[in-house]
Amino acid sequence: MFGQVAWFELRYQLKNPVLWVTFSAFFLAGFIVMADETLQIGAAGNAYKNGPFALTLLTGNMAILAQFAVVAFVSNAVIRDWDTGFGSILYTTRIRKFDYLIGRFVGAFAASVIVLLASPLGMMIGAAMPWLDSERFGPFVLWHYIHAFMVAGLPTLFLCAALFFSLATATRSMMGSYLGLVAFLIFYVVLNGILGRPQYRELSALLEPYGIGALMQETRYWTASDRNVQLIPLSQTYLANRALWSALALSALLTAYLTFSFSRGVGRADKKLRLGAQREAPGSAQWQVTPAKKEFGSGAAFTQMLARIRFEAVHVFFSPAFIVLMGFGLFNAGGSLWLADEGPGHSTAFPITSLMAKTLIDSFTFIPIIIATYYSGELAWRDREKRIHEIMDSTPAANWTFVIPKVAALLLVLAASIAVSVVAGIVVQTLKGFHDYNVPGYLLWYALPAFFTSFCSVALAVLFQAISPNKFVGWAMMIVYLLAILVSGQMGFDHHLYLYGHYPSVPISEMNGQGHYWIGAAWFQLYWALGALLLITLACALWRRGADPRVWPRLRALPQRLAGVTRAITALLVLGFVSCGAWIFYNTNILNTYRSSVAMQRWQADMERTLLRYEHAPMPKISDVSLTVDLYPHQHRAITVGTYQMENRTSEPLHEIYLFWPQRAIIDRAEIDGGVLERDFARETPAFPFQIWRLSRPMQPGERRRIQFVTRLEYPGFRNNDVLTPINDNGTFVNDRDLTPLIGFDRSGLLRDRNIRRRQGLPADLRIPRLEDEDAQAVNYLRHDSDWVNADITVSTVADQTPIAPGYVVSDTTSSGRRTVRYRSDAPILQFFSIQSAVYATARERWGNVDLTIYYDHRHTYNIERMLRAMRASLELCSRKFSAFQFHQLRIIEFPAYWPGAQSFANTVPFAESLGFTTRFNDVEGAREADRIDITTYATAHEISHQWWGHQVIGSDQQGATMLSETFAQYSALLVMEEIYGRDQVRRFLRFELDTYLRGRNAEVVEELPLARVENQPYIHYNKGGVVMYFLRNELGEEVVNRSLARLLREFAFRGAPYPRSTDFLRILREEAGPEHDALVTDLFERITLYDARVLEASAVRSEEGRWDVTMLVEAHKRYADGKGAEAEAPLDEAFEIGVFAAEPGEGRFTSNDVIMMARQRIRSGLQKITLRVDRAPRFAGIDPYNMRIDRNSGDNVCAVQVKVGDAISKQGAFFTGISRRQRTAAR
Amino acid sequence: MTLRIRGLTHTYPNGTRALDNITIDISPGMFGLLGPNGAGKSSLMRTIATLQAPSAGSIEFSGIDVLKRPEALRRTLGYLPQDFGVYPRVTAESMLDHLAVLKGITNARERREVVHGLLNKVNLWEVRKKAIAGFSGGMRQRFGIAQALIGDPQLIIVDEPTAGLDPEERNRFLNLLAAIGYGVVVILSTHIVEDVAQLCRSMAILSGGRVVHQGAPDALRRELHGRVWSATIAQDALEVTRNRYTVISERLLGGKTVVHVLASDPPGAEFTSVEGSLEDVYFSTLASTRS
Repeated sequence: MFGQVAWFELRYQLKNPVLWVTFSAFFLAGFIVMADETLQIGAAGNAYKNGPFALTLLTGNMAILAQFAVVAFVSNAVIRDWDTGFGSILYTTRIRKFDYLIGRFVGAFAASVIVLLASPLGMMIGAAMPWLDSERFGPFVLWHYIHAFMVAGLPTLFLCAALFFSLATATRSMMGSYLGLVAFLIFYVVLNGILGRPQYRELSALLEPYGIGALMQETRYWTASDRNVQLIPLSQTYLANRALWSALALSALLTAYLTFSFSRGVGRADKKLRLGAQREAPGSAQWQVTPAKKEFGSGAAFTQMLARIRFEAVHVFFSPAFIVLMGFGLFNAGGSLWLADEGPGHSTAFPITSLMAKTLIDSFTFIPIIIATYYSGELAWRDREKRIHEIMDSTPAANWTFVIPKVAALLLVLAASIAVSVVAGIVVQTLKGFHDYNVPGYLLWYALPAFFTSFCSVALAVLFQAISPNKFVGWAMMIVYLLAILVSGQMGFDHHLYLYGHYPSVPISEMNGQGHYWIGAAWFQLYWALGALLLITLACALWRRGADPRVWPRLRALPQRLAGVTRAITALLVLGFVSCGAWIFYNTNILNTYRSSVAMQRWQADMERTLLRYEHAPMPKISDVSLTVDLYPHQHRAITVGTYQMENRTSEPLHEIYLFWPQRAIIDRAEIDGGVLERDFARETPAFPFQIWRLSRPMQPGERRRIQFVTRLEYPGFRNNDVLTPINDNGTFVNDRDLTPLIGFDRSGLLRDRNIRRRQGLPADLRIPRLEDEDAQAVNYLRHDSDWVNADITVSTVADQTPIAPGYVVSDTTSSGRRTVRYRSDAPILQFFSIQSAVYATARERWGNVDLTIYYDHRHTYNIERMLRAMRASLELCSRKFSAFQFHQLRIIEFPAYWPGAQSFANTVPFAESLGFTTRFNDVEGAREADRIDITTYATAHEISHQWWGHQVIGSDQQGATMLSETFAQYSALLVMEEIYGRDQVRRFLRFELDTYLRGRNAEVVEELPLARVENQPYIHYNKGGVVMYFLRNELGEEVVNRSLARLLREFAFRGAPYPRSTDFLRILREEAGPEHDALVTDLFERITLYDARVLEASAVRSEEGRWDVTMLVEAHKRYADGKGAEAEAPLDEAFEIGVFAAEPGEGRFTSNDVIMMARQRIRSGLQKITLRVDRAPRFAGIDPYNMRIDRNSGDNVCAVQVKVGDAISKQGAFFTGISRRQRTAAR
Repeated sequence: MTLRIRGLTHTYPNGTRALDNITIDISPGMFGLLGPNGAGKSSLMRTIATLQAPSAGSIEFSGIDVLKRPEALRRTLGYLPQDFGVYPRVTAESMLDHLAVLKGITNARERREVVHGLLNKVNLWEVRKKAIAGFSGGMRQRFGIAQALIGDPQLIIVDEPTAGLDPEERNRFLNLLAAIGYGVVVILSTHIVEDVAQLCRSMAILSGGRVVHQGAPDALRRELHGRVWSATIAQDALEVTRNRYTVISERLLGGKTVVHVLASDPPGAEFTSVEGSLEDVYFSTLASTRS
């Protein structure tokens, strides 16, 4: 019987067209994921798209998507008897409850499995498509697909099937199970949001319902080569996670089975209140009804519309689904809002309104879209589902009095939900003790755009419902639309003129508000609002009235339906839409150049093919720069008049000079002494910003000449993409490269992404010269056409703003509404200038003979003192330990949060408001901030250190160059932090750095290089660099490291070619450290070295004299990795730090008081036992407990100590540590 | 004020011919549309009620070309569908009020009077604050007729209103129907002959999408005068009787079968001549269309 029920159910489901529609959808999704080259899920960098890792991730995500189908299948299996009333027949047969219920479940579950199987099938076929880049795919291995399906697909499917089947059985409603699904998904999102922080990684891996978290947890440091060959191991966390959720699924099924009863409510009529039973007075039919006036004009229609709006809005507002959706939306947004102030590297920001608005845009905007999609279907089909449509449709009310109220009611509901989310934002701000609410900010930055998006969604969803034969098709059309938008952007179709409801993004900053960016967005919004109105008109005209569900007859009758006023309105809307579109087109495509992302890539590739050959031509070098930059912040324009003094520093006469300006500026005029413009690529097709000048009189070695130019950087009208402009109403930050030409071709502006390069037919990599290439020392990595130059920069701007550039003020005048300041260097500096202008408040201080100034937005006073302190501390430390500071002024200048970074120019440091000015670190509230990082101090120290590492020594343009600037700046900043906050704060920060480095490895696209060969890879020169230098100092002593750095400065500071290489530092370091540290230096700088040290178990016995003997079982390994991440075991024989503690290091409020003992001990590869005797009761013991080394499993270095008191064993360590440690060790 | 239907034909996309060249004129008063299930009654009703566009033919009501200007007919139409549902949690009064707005009664005071009048008329006043979803079948039908009467319609279409009602409720409902419909066109579709017999002055029989007979009930009955014969026969003789005569109806009575047959001359000794009822008209018409 059971088998028959299950088999019947499966056959029934197989006949359901919905199953085959879903099957095709999943097949197609699988196919596209593989066959579309732009999609890279789980296959970042060098990982194969069909490697076991990517397949597991893809299958897991497909299974999550498949829930929407699963819920339909399993709910249908149990609800349809109930809905159709067939249950009363069935329930009275001899079928047993178990056979019926579980048989149905198994049949429906089998149907779900069939649907999900479509996606690996699609992937297999997709991966075999001939057009694919074979480098992105590994060989076909069937077992990888099967493994992925079993591990990431099937369990999720079972869990969802069981949960939703039980829910449907319990609630007897489709809605119930759909709500359950939404609840479940939101639970998942919230869990990810709240437990997404690194410290909760274990917990979230254990709790996450789909088991993907556990799989990712296991593989988070996997390199491409791991991803391509290894099956994801079934770790203990994964198994525990699956066991937990399977138990939940089974108990749900059991509950459903126990509570289900054949006799419970055979028909819905039970619920009815039997009013008819009462006796009734006869003969009431004689009542006369007073005749009333009927109206059919526009006034009547208006009344009807209001009545309908009320009717529909009440329906939505009071429906349980809305309340649940809102609740979950708020819960989700609330979680994100609460965490919105999390900055990079365990730092905290002030919950300023721009941050809240951005968070709401990311975490809440999808809720209105779901509500619009879902309720448009509900409202459009409600009359029909309630079978009252024939009464409604035969009333004289016009079509639009049905359609418009649905739209209006939905908008009312959506406006209310957006308003509620704003309130949530304000509540979070208040709870965080922040009271500078910016209500207009909420409105302009978030609420209005969100409402616009809602409006477009509603209009489209209502039209879809008007033309679809049932609400499911209408919903499916919405989903297709959402997917199409997603995909088209990736395919290079990114003009918002045809992406319905979309508009260029509007960057937000507290300093500059929405700047001028809202203007372009507003035009697009007007355009699409008119489009949406057109759709609504169309929906009115095509509205289904009566019994015929087909859309074709209505479409055929459209011309008649669009009659009279409707026709006039339609015509007006079309006119408005088209003229708005034309105006947009004029702005985006005529005033500006529009290139889709793909067209842009093609152009860049063409530029490389055309111009790269000019790269190595000998060129003169610039020795003196004089610029006059006129900024027009409100017109977003800069006019630059400039002069370069050039010198031929080669040994040959030069016959040609190239000018190259890869940024946006246009050269209006250029003049080279004795030069004639020979070829202007800017006038050819395709146009490239490159000119070849012929010198009629060749430039002799040592000869100096002048070049004069006038350039124009302007941003007329508005653009479709790439909207950000460096010249803003308040907060201009433009680099001299954006304004002036380069001499000779350089690689800025060429394509970097190797997949894109391959697709464009270019060699995959455009690598910089190798470390061994001595010719490369002729130029520094900032620019090739100058060494150290004298700078004379005059900047003018509007009178209420302060113009700033590197150099000392020579003159400062204001006349006819413009302020002009001239800055000049007193000794040569690097040709690397920032030009800034905004309305600034200033804070000033002196350190010795150095003027310190911070230019900031008057509202951002939070961290000024902290920044000044960091400036002083960094200047003091670097000049004491490395060399004297070369300037007598140092300025930090705030700029808008469009780019969340900071940059160091000569005595001038532009600093993003979000990086330093609105971050929050409260020394007083030490308790709450115990595990926080003061990112302001850290970033300030890093940038100030660049005045040495960058502005005193600068590396040659080849491998390893950024080690000399970024890594050393990182090291100096760590020293500053240590001086201000002590070692615990620095260790906490380094833990984060280590994690970032290890994660950075698996996103590597080209090849991971040792630190000394770093090719401008941030995760190496920043994150690994900091860890390496700190460990180096630990092993060699600070004296040796600092002495080596100081020597590097002495040998290379302010020198031109040949520029120093990383090997120059290593040479000095080896000399200073002595030969005994040779191997260490090699491991740290010249190899990719990974350690794996862990404590397997630790126990302690109390000795007679009251001390404790701690015994640790330790395992340690050292491995060398190659550029792709493949590892080879290396013999280990090094001194490690061994520690015994009273609290877990790096967790909570661990302080140095908790250190019971630290010792150094030689450790060899493999297992070994270590015994220590300590004075206090030990609770934790560890090897390399502060994670000084690069260890792929930094969490298992410390272990809770089991204290043996006589025979009994008491686990003193925290419960959680015990668990997580065991999982980690078993996972290997 | 006549409803003129000419050559109305409707074919569903799957090929089913629901209406086949129907031509009827309906003048004010109660018009009965009789037919078995699936005869096309509801299709015809829906088509007249502007809810379905026919494949061919025309409908005209007091100068309104219904197919061209459905909105004009809707202004003067009252329609009670065969089967209708309600919104959950909505009371009879507020639903009527809402429908009254949609039917163009925009003045709130007038609307209240209309709604109250109708609630009293159909005897739902006591339960006006109760959700319709909880109403019994009869109450729901009375609500249905109340909504159809909003705004004094000139054309009222009532589709199978008595199906599923118990005899008492059905009676009450027919009384209600009888009270309306002077001076307006009321079309009542039903498969229960008695409904028509009690209420209608004119009728048509629909079968297989075609009008197979029409006229006044009395006139139709008179056509059968002297041609209907009745006999009470044993169960085992039924087969022979069926084969030999044109049997128009069989009814069980105390274990035996009373058959009515159609014949111009006395068919046999056991048969006695009976006065044809409307039921005989109906069944004989159906019988003749089948053969």
